[in-house]
Amino acid sequence: MTMPLTRRMGALALVLSSCAIGQVATFTQTVNVQLAPAGKLSSPATLGMVTPGGFLPFSGNLLLNYRARTTFSTGSATITLQSATEVSPSGGPTIASGSLTYTCGAAQVGVGCAGTQVVSTTLQRKVVDIPAGVCMGGGSPCSAANPASVPLQFSMDNNPGYDPGSYNVRLLFTISSL
Amino acid sequence: MKRYTILTLALLAFASMAFGQAFGTTGTTNLTITVGPELAIRVDTATTPLTNTGGFSNFTGTTNYSYKVRTGSVTTANIKLQVTTDFSPSGGPSVGNGDTLTYACSAVAPATACSGTPAASTSSQTSVATFASGAKSNNGTGSVAWTLVDNPAWDPGAYQATVTFTASLT
Repeated sequence: MTMPLTRRMGALALVLSSCAIGQVATFTQTVNVQLAPAGKLSSPATLGMVTPGGFLPFSGNLLLNYRARTTFSTGSATITLQSATEVSPSGGPTIASGSLTYTCGAAQVGVGCAGTQVVSTTLQRKVVDIPAGVCMGGGSPCSAANPASVPLQFSMDNNPGYDPGSYNVRLLFTISSL
Repeated sequence: MKRYTILTLALLAFASMAFGQAFGTTGTTNLTITVGPELAIRVDTATTPLTNTGGFSNFTGTTNYSYKVRTGSVTTANIKLQVTTDFSPSGGPSVGNGDTLTYACSAVAPATACSGTPAASTSSQTSVATFASGAKSNNGTGSVAWTLVDNPAWDPGAYQATVTFTASLT
């Protein structure tokens, strides 16, 4: 069957029109992301403490890095420190006798511990308190610090009664978030 | 394929070592100290007046000191003194010019006090106390009792010298 010329041109125009405008379609998709509170931290593998002599205490500085996201209005996060072991070998300082203490510098996010903290093998001592509604990175209203950090200064007694030698102890940092 | 997998794992391991500990809910840090032998002293009598009772009797006075010591199994230690600044002003006693400033030592264990009455010198250190290996003390004390022989040739007046105590490991 032969189509008249005008009708054939009309069909062609319809096809071209369709191609020129394109296949534009708009769909609405609601995406819900449930972000749970979270906290992560990273501490240096080793920290050597030294004394200037004269039986002055051993001291060393440590920078603890952390990331946290806390629930708006009701959440919080806490970083704590505990000694995972007693000082070894024996003959030197001991955690049990309160030989190891630390102080916190200014935390980039949250509030660092106040005053001198005595490290314990049985109790978790506070390092940083992070309030509700905190997030890090990704622009406002989150903190630009990502990760955030807090400087810690450790001090260990230098008692003449200690046997000369090398000693070590393993510290455990923990972050919990709500 | 295996080769690439192994290479990737090796690179990841290297990256982990290079950039420190990864982030986690816990982190551990091994804290280390090296305790060495030490000896430290504190002179408790900042200024020791030497006095006499007249009649060209000797001038005497006592200097007290405290010490802390940890010598270890192979190290020994000692305390010595030296007249680092002779008496001034001129016209009075002078250790460097032959006036006799001697001292007697006493010390609590584990220190061993010097024996006899050594003469203090401006040119060399002289013994006050020694410590054997294995010595430990957190609150040791000792003293030096001075004797300066009076000399009629000195001009009347007040004179002052500086004596420096030195603690050393040997």
